[in-house]
Formats: sequence, structure tokens, C-alpha cells
Amino acid sequence: MRGFGDLETVLMEMVWDRDAPVTVRELFEELRHQRDIAYTTVMSTMDNLHRKGWLERAKEGKAYRYTATASREEYSARLMREALAGGGDTEAVLSHFVADMDGEDSEVLRAVVRRLGDRRPG
Amino acid sequence: MRPALLAFGYALAVAWYAPLLLTRLTAPGVSARLGLAAWSAAMASVLASALVALEFLIRAAVAGWSGLAEAVCRSVAGGACTPAVYRSAIFEFALALAAIAAALAAAVLAWRYGRSVQRVQRRTRAHAEAARITGRRLPGTPSAVVLDAAPRAAYCVPGRPATIVLTSGALAVLDRAQLTAVLAHERAHLAGRHHLLIGLSRGLAASFPAVPLFTRGPAEVARLAEMCADDAAARRSGGPALITALLAMGTGAAVPAAALAATTCAVTARLARLLDPPRPGRRVRYGLALAAVLVLLAALPALAAASAGPFAAHGLLAG
Repeated sequence: MRGFGDLETVLMEMVWDRDAPVTVRELFEELRHQRDIAYTTVMSTMDNLHRKGWLERAKEGKAYRYTATASREEYSARLMREALAGGGDTEAVLSHFVADMDGEDSEVLRAVVRRLGDRRPG
Repeated sequence: MRPALLAFGYALAVAWYAPLLLTRLTAPGVSARLGLAAWSAAMASVLASALVALEFLIRAAVAGWSGLAEAVCRSVAGGACTPAVYRSAIFEFALALAAIAAALAAAVLAWRYGRSVQRVQRRTRAHAEAARITGRRLPGTPSAVVLDAAPRAAYCVPGRPATIVLTSGALAVLDRAQLTAVLAHERAHLAGRHHLLIGLSRGLAASFPAVPLFTRGPAEVARLAEMCADDAAARRSGGPALITALLAMGTGAAVPAAALAATTCAVTARLARLLDPPRPGRRVRYGLALAAVLVLLAALPALAAASAGPFAAHGLLAG
């Protein structure tokens, strides 16, 4: 499925992978080799990402040069904080595979793992 | 008045005694799915019968307005209450005002509840979108993304499309089979709509903080939802992969599934037994008991509504 959201992901990845600010034209030239895509689609998607706060832009001549407002690592860290906060603000926090463990729980588990390690042959 | 009292009595009885019964029946987690259904049915049953009772009350109040005015007047003023008082325009006006105020208060509560649900949904959508843009694709699993982050975390974000989020820290300690178990666990949460059950039970707990069924509800629903998801994951990838995935995610140490089979330590045996299918006889007994509770919880309010006439039955079904 190559939906609109997917293009946002691809474009952000391209912006993050470059160090320098980038224009829609440059991104389009790179993308058209990989997929059948229109210049206006790239432009409106970049506009969306700017409107949603993922990109900032500065006018240069007739075009904009785009940069990410935060690095991928910063976004990852932000998402983690949100997911691990446990305040019930998002439905994401309801489904952790292993819920926050208190010290005693994780100590018991650690002891199990240590014994498993000892008993492993070789 | 009598049907309203009966419905209220039923709601109170279930709200206070169902937690005792259900806690005993679902504590071992023998039949997690039926247990989850029973807790949900108990909460829905209490809510439905309370609504039926409320409807009876409102209809009685509307039908016998003059009688209600007299009853309220007597309960407040006792012997000093004469027809001249409770038939006066001022008294009727005050009573109407009180009724309107009560209706408004209920409306405000419902509106605030709706707003908080909306806020959670908006943040959930935003979180999912940010995770899809920030995360890298996990080859072979289109619905999962991987965030570059050290904490070991795996969770799912409901929505369209539903997204499973893993961290690179989690991937680092999981082998192939364990990853399959984790993904199956999260997919079971999504398929079972567990977020809705947990969200609704939390809403009820926040709205009615003195009702035992509702205050116990969120924790029990969450616990049983985890067990349901574990059952699904164990069916998909086997118990050892799931147990070692739990250990690895919980401690951060990679645990090969083969090591589990070679150990006899007590804690591991307990963990393993948790995921071992219980003996058939025990499973049947708990299953039958839970099924009987379920049927009762569903049947009693439905009967009450049906006996109360088509309007109430319609209200119950719609609610």
C-alpha cells in the first residue's frame, strides 16, 4: 500500500538523511527514479509536513528550502516519553508488552535469567 | 415505583457482589477470554439496569407530577405541607428548576466524559502518525515500525491503520521466535479491541468512584486482556518463546528459548506453568461457571426491560 501517509514517511526520511536544507525540486528529482510521482504531489506533501510542524522552511529565490524541526532521535525520544508516561493520555500506553515493573519484579526476573545463563551448556 | 426499585436493586447487587465472585472465578486466569467477557458483561449489565431504573423514574415523575410535588413537599416540610403550599406556583417553579438543574448536571458530566474520550483519541492518532513517520519499517510486517530508542518497549496504537511500535532496544534482545510472540501479543490486543474495554472501564471508574465493580474494573480488565493476548501469542509461537520474550523484555538480557527447557529453577517453573494449558477438567469447570454468570448478567436486565414495556426495552437496546 503506497498511501499518502507513506509518502510523508519517505520524504521525512530523505530530509533527515541530508544535512543541508532541501528544495521540493531536489527531492522530486531523487524520487522520480524510484516511483511514478508528480511534482505537485511532493510539493503538497511537503506543505502538509510543514503545516503539521515536522518541517520548517526559508524562502530562497522562488522556492522554499526545507529542514526538519527536530532530528529523528529527538522525535523518537519524544514518542518514548509519551508512551512510557503511563498517564492514560493516549491509548498506546494501555498495551505495553511488559508493563512498568517495580524493582522487586525485575530483580526476580534477573535472577531467573542469571540461572538460565549458568545452566546453558557451553 | 416498584420496577425502578427492582432495577436499581439489581444494579446495586451486581455492582457490589459481582466483583467478589468474578475475582474468584478469574484470579487463576484459566479462561481469560470468558473472564474478560464476564467483567465486561457485569459492567454493561449494571449500567443498563441503572439506565432502565432512571427511565422508570423519569416516566413516573412526568406522569405523576402533582403527586411528586406533594411527596417532595412532605418529605421536606412534613406536617407543615398543605395543598396551598405544594400547589403554589412558586413551589412548582422551584421543583421544575431543580429537575432542570439535575438534567443539566447530567448533561455536563456526559459532555465532559465525551470530551476526554475525544482528547485521548486525538492524542492516540497523533502518536500513531508520529510513530509511522519517525519509525523505520520492520521488514515483513507492514503494520510495525521500529523507533531508534534505548528503552525496551513494544506496544500497539489502535486506529486506522493500527500500528505496532517496537524500539531498537527491544529488537536487540529478541530473537526471531520471540519477536513473533511479541507481535502476536500486540495483534491480539488490536483484534480484541482491548483498548476500548480498558478505556470504557477507566471512564466508568472515573465517573463512579464509589462503586466497587467500577473501581476494580480497569485493573481486572487490563490483567485479563494481557492474559488473552498472552494466550494468543503462545498459540502462535509457543509458550517458551513467549516466556523468554517476557524475560528478555523485562530484564534486557537476551534469553535463548532453548535455555528454558534445560532449567528447573522454581520461578521459571512458575512462569512456565502460567503458560502451560491448565488441566481440561479445571478449564471446563471455570468455563462453565463463567458462562453461567455471563448468561445471568445478560438475561436479568433484558427480562426487566422486556417486562417494563417496549419503550424501556428499546432504551436498553439503544443504550
